[in-house]
Amino acid sequence: MKKFRLGGFEEIVLLTVGILHGNAYGVTIKDEIEDRLDREVSVGALQTTLRRLEKKGFLHSTHGESTKSRGGRPKLYFTITAYGKKAIEYTRQTRNELWNALPQMVLNLD
Amino acid sequence: MPPPKLSLKLLKWFCKPEYHKDIEGDLLELHDRRKKTSSQTKANWRLFKDVLLLFRPGIIRSFKTSQKLNYTAMLRHNFILTIRNFKRYRTSFLINLIGLSTGLASALLIYLWVSDELKVDKFHEKDDRLYQVMRNFDRPNGIVTRDLTPTPLAEALAEEMPEVEYAVSVNDFFSWRSKEGILSNGDKQTEAKGLHASRDYFHVFSYDLIRGDKDKALVDKNSIVISEELAKILFNSTENIIGKTLEWNHAGFDGTFQVSGIFEEIPSNSTAQFDVIFSIEVLLENDRWAKNWTNSYAQTYLILSKGANITHLNKEITRLFEVKNPSNKNLTLFVRKYSSKYLFGQYENGVQAGGRITYVRLFSIIALIILLIACINFMNLSTAQASKKMKEIGVKKVIGASRNSLINQFLGESILAVFLSLIIALLFVWLLLPQFNEITGKQLDLNIDASAFLSVLGIGFFTSFVSGSYPAFYLAGFSPITVLKGKLRIAFGELWVRKGLVVFQFSLSIIFIVGVLVIKQQIELTQTQNMGYDRDNIISFQWKGNLYDPWNGLLEGKSNERFYAFMQELKNIPGVVSTTNMSGNILNKIPGQSGVSWRGQESDKDFLFQSPVVGYDYIETLGIELSEGRSFSRDYNDDYSKIILNEAAVKAMELENPVGEIIKMNGRSEIIGVVKNFHYGSLHNQVDPLIFRFEPHGKNILAKIVAGTERITIEGLKKLYEQFLPGYTFEFSFLDDDYQALYDSENKVSILSKYFAGLAIVISCLGLFGLATFTAERRMKEIGVRKIMGSSVFGIIRMLTGDFTKTVIVAIFISLPISYLIAKNWLDNFAYKIDLNGWFFAEAGLLVLLIAWVTIGMQTIKAARVNPVECLKDE
Repeated sequence: MKKFRLGGFEEIVLLTVGILHGNAYGVTIKDEIEDRLDREVSVGALQTTLRRLEKKGFLHSTHGESTKSRGGRPKLYFTITAYGKKAIEYTRQTRNELWNALPQMVLNLD
Repeated sequence: MPPPKLSLKLLKWFCKPEYHKDIEGDLLELHDRRKKTSSQTKANWRLFKDVLLLFRPGIIRSFKTSQKLNYTAMLRHNFILTIRNFKRYRTSFLINLIGLSTGLASALLIYLWVSDELKVDKFHEKDDRLYQVMRNFDRPNGIVTRDLTPTPLAEALAEEMPEVEYAVSVNDFFSWRSKEGILSNGDKQTEAKGLHASRDYFHVFSYDLIRGDKDKALVDKNSIVISEELAKILFNSTENIIGKTLEWNHAGFDGTFQVSGIFEEIPSNSTAQFDVIFSIEVLLENDRWAKNWTNSYAQTYLILSKGANITHLNKEITRLFEVKNPSNKNLTLFVRKYSSKYLFGQYENGVQAGGRITYVRLFSIIALIILLIACINFMNLSTAQASKKMKEIGVKKVIGASRNSLINQFLGESILAVFLSLIIALLFVWLLLPQFNEITGKQLDLNIDASAFLSVLGIGFFTSFVSGSYPAFYLAGFSPITVLKGKLRIAFGELWVRKGLVVFQFSLSIIFIVGVLVIKQQIELTQTQNMGYDRDNIISFQWKGNLYDPWNGLLEGKSNERFYAFMQELKNIPGVVSTTNMSGNILNKIPGQSGVSWRGQESDKDFLFQSPVVGYDYIETLGIELSEGRSFSRDYNDDYSKIILNEAAVKAMELENPVGEIIKMNGRSEIIGVVKNFHYGSLHNQVDPLIFRFEPHGKNILAKIVAGTERITIEGLKKLYEQFLPGYTFEFSFLDDDYQALYDSENKVSILSKYFAGLAIVISCLGLFGLATFTAERRMKEIGVRKIMGSSVFGIIRMLTGDFTKTVIVAIFISLPISYLIAKNWLDNFAYKIDLNGWFFAEAGLLVLLIAWVTIGMQTIKAARVNPVECLKDE
């Protein structure tokens, strides 16, 4: 289904928001991805992806508390919507189908 | 190191406002943490880098401001309102439209004319460095400025003056010699207008050569350069003509010449118009006096180097001239810009004194005035309507419209009105241009190039602002409370402004009317004034064939027998009463004669006499009256040594018994007669002392014919002329028409000023009409009450007209002294002029008053005759 199509980084961000369950905002998401995947994530790339996912309806955001280290700015917490869950579900399922269709031989040769 | 504040400012500037808060929060949190783990500098740099990386499509805000959306909506709203206002107040809208469009049309026509005038002779590539040498001749009765200079001057200047890049001598066959000759190639022949020029001609002037090299053309004595058109007539093409030969026949010289170049058609805005150029060497060979420094034979044109000092150059040129011509006493030379010749051509006593520029300025002012009058209409009508717009303005202000947005609305209204008028005006211009061209003698067209477009746009906006700004500021300045209460406080000042504007309009109209009357009377005077000679039924034409003068040494072995035979035959044509001939022209171009001395001469001052050279029967043909002695006659075998004076000359020389007296001028001359004073030339000039000299071979022929036989007689003249001069066209004019042509510019001004004065009055009256309509409407209730109280129709008419009458009378009193001064100034151009009596002014004033009454009459009578029930029933 076309509407569930997720990009690679989008999938990672979506999953990370899930992992951080309840504590997912800009900085934590960035840290989590950097930790787990051992790669640099720029704020710009992360923010555009988050907003895009929100626009597509996969994420939902709520303003949270503000702390002093943030210059009095509120945090924006993200949670996965039901629709977003369906989307990762769908992505995982299609991946699995592809994996299953892969002939054993190909992997053995690796 | 970019401080964090700057980076965050940058972010705030481009980030979507709804994202901005939390992204900034994230960045600050990261920055805070980085400051602890690494250095402050590094953290700042990272922050800056993060902000830069945030600069991407998903984050950047839309730079379209919501304000702009509002603005277009507002614009649309204003537009709709304007259209509705136009529809509602149809009369005043139509008045404005007609007034503005006629005003704009006349302004545009004048703009076209003025910009064309300003472009004349400016097309030369080196125009800013192209100069002409002029000569001041110091005489006891003033300095005379001429453009003729010695022929060798150009070469000497080019050699000796470092400031002079190129110099060229040009001789255009003089004013008294026919400019036309016949060029022929085998049996193909045509008339061509020629001039002599030295070799650098095409370096100085930008007439493009389509064939030939400008360095090589005119180098050889026998080479000529011809126009594209001539090439097409004589050779049917412009290809392979260089080196071919042509025959030239002209009264001054003839021979075989070799084509060395072809030039492109000369633009119509060039004052120099010619078909063929000969080398100046030809002139030097044909006229033994031409190469002298003591004679003035040529115009000298220069290209100066950049930044040349003109004052210094003028001194140097005169110094050089004095070295070459040590006998010089009263000549000085100076340079002037070539392109100023057209507009600033007149010199008075050696000082530049205007010229055509006077008319350019005059008409620019007229255009501005007419436009102003139309603008005033707009102002008056819009402010007068203020009471009707009161509620609209009050409500808008209460809702929160700022003064500026109201000003914008009203300015928009005027811009729309002006641009609608502009479209109509352009249509008018397009329709009227052929007639306008006929009057002005130009070939103007509505060429919409970039600069013209911008100017038209500029004129449009100028008009919009002049007409719209006062009403806009006035209307937008209302206080909402008073306006909504329905009390429009009309300040004394505002009424004054409106009345003042009407006074201004009518003053200008009166000035125009006086102008038209004065010009008309003066032109009538030029027609009816007895000139002392008879110019009716006289045909004037030129002998274009060869004529030899004994004095330039060319007579040897040649004779003018053919010309004399022609003059003999001429008398035999039925319908020809008498004939004569002269070298110059009775109307202008009379040569001057100085160096005259006589017995009993009191001072050694050198008088300059007008000195026409005439043939037999001159005095008889023109009907000039002899007061003493006799006229030139075949019976006495008269020759060059006999002269006739006019009475002014006798008076100037203080001779008691002039006839038989011998005076010295070019040798001994005997006075054989005296004629009564007559006006040669136009009435611009005084009758100066004049000496008729005698010579039977002047090339300008005058023939008096029997009235009513013009067609047949001219046919006969033409036949004879072509029999004697095959190939030349017989071009003739009536002396009376030539006389009219002397007042050409006055006639043009007269015609144009008539139109423009008419326009000014019509536009002013339109405005008055609008105001009258409006006043009558507003005072409807008052009129109703007055009528019920027993006022008569006449009484109400008097009440309504009284105000306007006063205004117009004030205008009359203001404008009369101004118009008197202007008229007097203009009449000073004439030596013989009409008396400015009071009637002109009374006539103009009464006329305007009458027009004003007629204009407001209709409306006033209608208002006065209203049934009071009609206007009072509402309350």
